[in-house]
Amino acid sequence: MTSIGTGYDLSVSTYSPDGRVFQVEYAQKAVDNSGTAIGLRVKDGVVLAVEKIKHSRLLVPGSNKRIMTAGRHIGVAAAGWMSDTRHLVKRARDEAHHYHSVYKADIPAKIIAERMGMYVQAYTLYSSVRPFGVSTILACVDTDGPQLYMVEPSGQFTGYRGCAAGKGKQAAKTEIEKLKLEELTVRDAVKEAARIIYAAHDEAKDKLFELELSWICAESGMLHAHVPADVLAEAIQHAERSLDEDDDDDDEMEDEDL
Amino acid sequence: MALPAEASTGFKFDNVKRNQLLGDKGYKLPTATKTGTTIVGLIFKDGVVLGADTRATAGTIVADKNCEKIHYLAPNMYCCGAGTAADTEFTTSMISSQLALHSLNTGREARVVTAMTMLKQYLFRYQGHIGAALVLGGYDVTGPHLFTIYPHGSTDKLPFVTMGSGSLAAMSVFESRWREGLSREEGIELVKDAIEAGVFNDLGSGSNVDVCVLTKGNVEYLRGYSRPNERVFKEQSYKFAPGTTEFIDPAAAQGEDATAMDVSA
Amino acid sequence: MASLKPGEANLGTTIMAVKFDGGVVVGADSRTSTGTYVANRVTDKLTKVHDRIYCCRSGSAADTQAIADVVNYHLDLYTAQHGGPPTVSVAASLFQEICYQNKGNLSAGIIVAGWDKHNGGSVFEIPLGGSLHQQQFAIGGSGSTYIYGYCDKTFRPGMSKEECIQFVKNAVSLAMARDGSSGGVIRLAVITPDGVERTVVYGDRLPTQYSD
Repeated sequence: MTSIGTGYDLSVSTYSPDGRVFQVEYAQKAVDNSGTAIGLRVKDGVVLAVEKIKHSRLLVPGSNKRIMTAGRHIGVAAAGWMSDTRHLVKRARDEAHHYHSVYKADIPAKIIAERMGMYVQAYTLYSSVRPFGVSTILACVDTDGPQLYMVEPSGQFTGYRGCAAGKGKQAAKTEIEKLKLEELTVRDAVKEAARIIYAAHDEAKDKLFELELSWICAESGMLHAHVPADVLAEAIQHAERSLDEDDDDDDEMEDEDL
Repeated sequence: MALPAEASTGFKFDNVKRNQLLGDKGYKLPTATKTGTTIVGLIFKDGVVLGADTRATAGTIVADKNCEKIHYLAPNMYCCGAGTAADTEFTTSMISSQLALHSLNTGREARVVTAMTMLKQYLFRYQGHIGAALVLGGYDVTGPHLFTIYPHGSTDKLPFVTMGSGSLAAMSVFESRWREGLSREEGIELVKDAIEAGVFNDLGSGSNVDVCVLTKGNVEYLRGYSRPNERVFKEQSYKFAPGTTEFIDPAAAQGEDATAMDVSA
Repeated sequence: MASLKPGEANLGTTIMAVKFDGGVVVGADSRTSTGTYVANRVTDKLTKVHDRIYCCRSGSAADTQAIADVVNYHLDLYTAQHGGPPTVSVAASLFQEICYQNKGNLSAGIIVAGWDKHNGGSVFEIPLGGSLHQQQFAIGGSGSTYIYGYCDKTFRPGMSKEECIQFVKNAVSLAMARDGSSGGVIRLAVITPDGVERTVVYGDRLPTQYSD
């Protein structure tokens, strides 16, 4: 970033000489500093998972949710600034509601992703505003089946089978790529999502975190909902066990090396 | 009790209630000037013929004995107007300029459906308060087209149409004699006869017949195509021979009898 | 609900739509009147708003044409945005929204019918107030009052395409025979996944009735 500090990064209404808008890239940094969020689109539904980093032991467990519902059939997992997220989710709810009031039908994933993308993009055009410091992962089941989209601070929106955002996104993506998503059921995916969030968690940097899990599937009545407590507990158990196994493997390998 | 001083300025609405009451009681409230009219159009083998009478009325008075009711819209489109004269005049001229800009922007000749859509949307917006009943005809890239447009904004697409107070008389001519594939001459003749049916049988229509023939790449505007009400010279002369009227010469009246007037002076 | 304004073209009408397995049949008479004068005796009251969605118009000609134009625009926009055709229920919802929100200024009774890949053939009715009713079959317009009994008695769920066509022809011709504001020819459209088939039954080919 040679242009940094030369005045080209002060406003979204100015391009750098090499065609970049630094404010948008800085917004992406805000996302990259956040706890990991992932989404998995499998054959019978969609699963969202978030590593909610806790900055205090005094926080009530389960408070400050980072997975929210934007419409009965739409879930949003966010990585980045939570205040921005809440604003975007409100917008998503308004869009979903308006669409329903006009067409008397649930908004398709593609359309809400597009509208959110357009909205976020508008905040990359004017010097009087700051881009959103959040990437939102949209989970949805519509007439075409399970859908997963991610909307980034630039306004770019992309459809995925699996996606990740936040500080652990590289590790998470590597893990997601190993999965056979089109063969997985949501029940499997919940466990895998938990495992991936635990694997992507950096114990050294952030001690405390809470796993948040939600899904849209037949079991949730094709509506977006946080997974039931027993499913969550089972997933966490699975995640911790596989983490231990990995540690064991690592130990073994270390032994062999020695 | 003291009455408040009457305001010296501002609107007074005293008559609103009275007029409403009179209207409810069935008294005719004043209405805008309308032209009793016969306008028609038909499709023939190679295009469209439009026709109109030329009488304009203001109540029972014939305001203009030779007005033009076939209005220019575009080089390939003309439009007959019935109803409120001012409304047909302004509506067609306004749409005409919009069409000119439209064909300048697109670099193409405007289509008849485009004019029809613009007219209907304009009239619909005014909910019938613009009293323009139109017969729109033209020839564009998709062939000949003929529409009627009502003041409320509804449209019909038909091979032969009539409008105005003389429409019933004109339609009877069309219903009995229109057929598919009329020649140009037959088409013009039928339109002339239809308008004349209005001219002779409808009090609101009269004077001459204007005709407009629209074919591929060509328009022929036949102003005064038929003049069935030409004023002829009176057979009797109203010039009176000198000395016809008797008068009393004030000077001579002193003592003498009345004599014939001396008009030589 | 607005009443017809003086001199306004009226679709004193008989309109109808019937659902069958794999599509719908819609039908209408062809009379448009201004007062006692027949302004158009071959009107097409079956208006296409999308490839496989039609509406049957009754009430004010100007109002229903304007509504159909607006819905047609919205459905084209929908198709571009969604990358595929709308469902019949989406089209019906758009009609309802316009009819309800502007009920004070409109006199329009509309039947929306068509085919889509999610629901097959479907029929919706939107009467004057702007409510929306999904039905097996729907009748509307001034002529419909004469044929409620006939239709209720005759309609059976699961009729074939041909049976539905005959049902519509019979019902509309019965209404045309009794309703002074309905007449002319019967216009029909059969909407199936394969396309739309338009036909006309001329005035001298109408099914014969007892009174004939």
